[in-house]
Amino acid sequence: MNSFKYFSEARKAYDSVPVPDALEGRVREGIRQGRAACALRRRRAVRSWVSAAACFTVLLAGLNLSPAVAHAAANVPILGGLFQVLTVASYDKSEDGIDYSVAVPAVEAEGDIAQAVNDAIQAKVDQHMAKARQDWQEYQDAFFTTGGTEEEWAGRTMDVTVDYEIKSQTNARLSFVVTMAEGWVASMEERYCYNLDLAENRAITLRDLLGEEWAEISTAAILRQIEESRDAEGFTYFFSPEEGGFTSVDENTAFYIREDGVPVAVFPRYAIAAGAAGCPEFPLA
Amino acid sequence: MSSLTDNSLERYLVENQARFYRLAYSYLKHPEDAMDAVQTAVCRAMERRSALRDPASCRSWFCRILVNVCLDELRRRGRTLPLSEWEEVGREDPPPADESLAQRIDQLPLAVGTVIKLRFYEELSLREIANVTGNNVSTVKSRLYAGLKKLKISMEGENIE
Repeated sequence: MNSFKYFSEARKAYDSVPVPDALEGRVREGIRQGRAACALRRRRAVRSWVSAAACFTVLLAGLNLSPAVAHAAANVPILGGLFQVLTVASYDKSEDGIDYSVAVPAVEAEGDIAQAVNDAIQAKVDQHMAKARQDWQEYQDAFFTTGGTEEEWAGRTMDVTVDYEIKSQTNARLSFVVTMAEGWVASMEERYCYNLDLAENRAITLRDLLGEEWAEISTAAILRQIEESRDAEGFTYFFSPEEGGFTSVDENTAFYIREDGVPVAVFPRYAIAAGAAGCPEFPLA
Repeated sequence: MSSLTDNSLERYLVENQARFYRLAYSYLKHPEDAMDAVQTAVCRAMERRSALRDPASCRSWFCRILVNVCLDELRRRGRTLPLSEWEEVGREDPPPADESLAQRIDQLPLAVGTVIKLRFYEELSLREIANVTGNNVSTVKSRLYAGLKKLKISMEGENIE
C-alpha cells in the first residue's frame, strides 16, 4: 500500500531490532507455565467431581496478598472504554505440597465503585487465605495427633485457587465472576459476581435488566428450569422447597451478565441442590 | 471450547516470537524486560486459551494480552503517566522534527503511538486494533489521524484504513 511508504524507514528500524537468542527458551517456558496452570485447574475440577461423597476439606495458605498491591494499580491510564480489569496478583506455584493457582483481579476506573469492589475482592481473598491456613493447620494437627507419621503425610497435596472470568463487557458495563476454591480430598468453591456500570458508578441490579417484575420473572425462570432438569424417572439434583431448596430470588441472589445481555443467576454449591450439581446457574430469560 | 487446538496456538506463539518481542521492545526499550513481557503474555495466553473462540482473531487477541503486559510493566516501573499522555490530546509540543520518524513515533502519547505501531508496523486492520485496545473503530480512527497529524504526515486522499 502506497501510504505505508512514509513509514517504511521507521518500519525498517523497528524490524531490525535484534532478537536475543534466549527468546525462544523464554517463549517455551511461558508455554510450559501456562499449560501447568491449566493442568492445575483441570485437576482441581476433576477432584471436585470425584469428591462429592468425601467429607473433609483441607485448606491452607501462607500468602500475604497485600491490599497495597490493588492500590498500586489505581490511578493509571485506561486502555479503552471506561475501565480495565487488571490481574493485580498472579502466581502459580507449588510449595510444601500445596498447589497455588492465584489470579486476583482489580477494576481500574474513575469513581469509587471500582475501588469499593477491589477492596471487597481483596478482603475476600484475605479471608479465603486465612481460613485456608487455619483449616490446613487444624487438619495437620489432627493428622499427627491421631498417629499419622511424617512419612504418611509426605505425599499430601492440596489446591488453593483464586481465579476470575470476565463474563461480558461493553464500554461502560462490566460483569465478572471471582472464584475462590480450595480442596484436597473434597473441594469447596465460592463464587462472587460483580456487575458494574462504570459510567453511572454503581452496581447493576436485576431490576435494571429485567424491569419492575424482576423477582417474578427470575423466580419463574428458575422454577421452570428446575422442573426441566428432572430425568425420565422424575429425579433431579435440586432439593424440593421442603428440603430447603429454591423458593424465590431476592436482592442477594448472585448473577452475572452473559455476552448477549441475559442475566444468569448463580447459586452456591449445596445451597439448592446436591453437590454433584456443582454451582447451579440459570439464565433469566 | 476453543476451536484453535493447543498445538496450533503453541505453534503460532513460537513462530511469531520475534514480532512479539519487537512489539514489546517498542514499549519497554529493554531486552530483558521485553523478553519477560513476552514470556508473561505467552503464559497468560496459554492459561486463557479457552477464551479464544475465533482462531481468526488470534493475532489481535494475543496482541491485546501482550500490550497490556507491557503497559503493566511501564506502570510497575513507576513511570507516572498523566492521563493526558495516554489520551489523544497528548502533549502540545510536536516531537522535534530533526529526530527520525521512528523516534518521533516512540514519543507519541501511548494510546496514539499504539495505534500507529499496530497499523504501520504490525499492519493490523483498524478493526483488529480496536480489538487490541478495547475501543471502537471510530476511536481508533481518530487516534490514527491524531497520530499522523502529530507526525506531520499528510495522507490526504489516501486510503489508510
